[in-house]
Amino acid sequence: MIVGLPKGLLFHQYEKFITEFLKVLQIDYIISKDTNKDILNLGVKYCVDEACLPIKIFHGHVASIKDRCDLVIVPRIVSVHEKEFICPKFNGLPEMILHNIPNMPAITTKPLYLYSEKKTLAWLEDFGSMLNKNKNQVREAYIRGKEIYDRQKLGYNDKRYRRRVLLVGHPYNIDDIYMNMNIKKKLNDLGVGVMTHHYVRDKDKQKEVDKLYKRPFWTFARHTYGSCVYLGRTQQVDGIIYLSSFNCGIDSIFIQLIKNELKDFPLLVVKIDEHTGEAGLNTRLEAYTDMLERKKKNGSNFPASREHLYSM
Amino acid sequence: MVVTFPHLGNTYIACKIMFDSLGIDYVIPPLSNKEALRIGAFHSPDEICLPFKIMIGNYIQSIEKGADTVIIVGSCGPCRLGEYCELQMSVLKNLGYQVKFIVVDYPGEIGIKELASRIGYISNQSHKKKIEKLRALYRAVKAIRLMDYIEQSARMIAGYEINRGECKRLLLQCRDRVFNESDPSKALKILKSYKAKLSKIPIDKKRKPLKIAIVGEIYTNIESFANHFIEDTLMDYGIATYKSLSPSWWLKYTGLKVLKLHAVRARLAAKQYLKYEVGAYAKETVGEAVLAYERGYDGIIHLLPVGCMPEIVSKSILTSIAKEKDIPIMTLLFDEMTGEAGYLTRIEAFIDLLERRRRDHVLSWR
Ligand code: SF4
Ligand code: SF4
Repeated sequence: MIVGLPKGLLFHQYEKFITEFLKVLQIDYIISKDTNKDILNLGVKYCVDEACLPIKIFHGHVASIKDRCDLVIVPRIVSVHEKEFICPKFNGLPEMILHNIPNMPAITTKPLYLYSEKKTLAWLEDFGSMLNKNKNQVREAYIRGKEIYDRQKLGYNDKRYRRRVLLVGHPYNIDDIYMNMNIKKKLNDLGVGVMTHHYVRDKDKQKEVDKLYKRPFWTFARHTYGSCVYLGRTQQVDGIIYLSSFNCGIDSIFIQLIKNELKDFPLLVVKIDEHTGEAGLNTRLEAYTDMLERKKKNGSNFPASREHLYSM
Repeated sequence: MVVTFPHLGNTYIACKIMFDSLGIDYVIPPLSNKEALRIGAFHSPDEICLPFKIMIGNYIQSIEKGADTVIIVGSCGPCRLGEYCELQMSVLKNLGYQVKFIVVDYPGEIGIKELASRIGYISNQSHKKKIEKLRALYRAVKAIRLMDYIEQSARMIAGYEINRGECKRLLLQCRDRVFNESDPSKALKILKSYKAKLSKIPIDKKRKPLKIAIVGEIYTNIESFANHFIEDTLMDYGIATYKSLSPSWWLKYTGLKVLKLHAVRARLAAKQYLKYEVGAYAKETVGEAVLAYERGYDGIIHLLPVGCMPEIVSKSILTSIAKEKDIPIMTLLFDEMTGEAGYLTRIEAFIDLLERRRRDHVLSWR
């Protein structure tokens, strides 16, 4: 039995856990390659046109390994936080995969509620039973996997750069350096340090989120909104870069809410799809950093560019 | 307080009856129109789904006529609808409009108390006695059920009518007349009379019209402007259409959800393709498509706004259903750029396809 792990969507977040889990259970697994042109093309080929890029890329990862394994993990991650969700597309991910990609091997289809240990274990036990492992074995592997998972530190917090920006967006937009053309390195090369929401205290995010009329029910949007508005208001970073993809329903709401809240704060929205070119991104980032420099020199009264980058 | 609300199919008829009975001032936004969409699209983020934009247009056109309070229903995810109110408030505020929003959300989210206080706020604007308030609500529910029934029947009977166009004329006339009646009990009488009239329309039972089921995202299904009045077009072609989604369907659904008895049949039918909740009504879309096949419909039209998240999942599944069950399914996507011409051609082509399939079927059967 070989388990296939597609390196898309939230894989990077849970990679340490799941690989350790499978190792302890002595199950062979393969991981799809880092996203590349072929994987992207496969995704575009199989996925419905209207989907967002991360979902298409996930399709590509699955298609690239499906013939070499017996069971693919297609996690239906409904929630990572109580009473919150990720996205409707996550809720229907297994169906999209099964109906869009022909000749699929077995896949996991049960919903995952990662905020609850009990529910997570129930999912793992079900998964374990597909691998002929009993509950005790699963539990043991879970504990070992979780240890490693808990030790990892996610996100960036660059110091020693002239300027510093907050980089926000869904985790997969930030993790997938093929998709975002290694935007972090580009920024670093331009003398800009990058931090992510992980280094903003929950308390501070929550303060801003609580001012909303309604409790947001998308976990990533909550982190993004909270950290952007908090850091923007307190001017603790020089700018914010929002990495998004076309056709993301969640970003379409939250980018606007953040814009409305932060008014003139230098916010750059980078939207990516399969046609995005690298040269365009470079130009945009250079222009943006220049603007940050000018703004710094002229004092904070200098109006920030409100131009946004949609298609490059 | 002058209340307003976004359009959603026939709801304005029920709301009118309710507010007339309650004696609350209201503005009904001009029926969704191109200008509303233009205004809405202009002030909304580009990539937000179509319903949001039309709704903003509705609000602004109402505000210009004096409305100062918006009533909408909410939801708690996972889809965007639940976040609509937050962003709509922010958009209107940024435009300098001073309006109050009353969001009627699920009690599970905001708590029974908060819900009661929000509804109380509306109800306190009325000086009627409690019993009359209840009657107002009762009338509104009755009206929407009658109106939806009339609409649903007219669209089905249109396939069998002997005098082409009679059903459509009746439907439009009915809407027009109730809308212009400000006495609630008379309005209800009008609805009842049209229900009776409809049952007397001469039909040819032996006709075998093409039957098409309409499924998909709820707003584009119910608010005809959003789907370019697709059902009216189909009526003109003498096609019998069936669509389960309507405001009264939603009322029943929301009410029964508490007991988990909502849309039982569709959800059961969906099971073989989709066991879990995706968001909004994607599961119902899948279920209705399966039901349409089982009921012998000739084809299915799937409507969704561009970028709609849950319906992208159902779209993936519908592709398989079309193949496995051999039933044609056409997907139509809508945004503010959807043009009239290409759209009509697609519908005509689809109808041609269905007719051809019928002929071939008959031939091979012989
Ligand atoms: S959150 Fe946005 S980017 Fe992520 S899957 Fe959903 S629509 Fe796509
Ligand atoms: S169901 Fe579709 S159209 Fe409705 S709010 Fe969600 S994404 Fe928008």
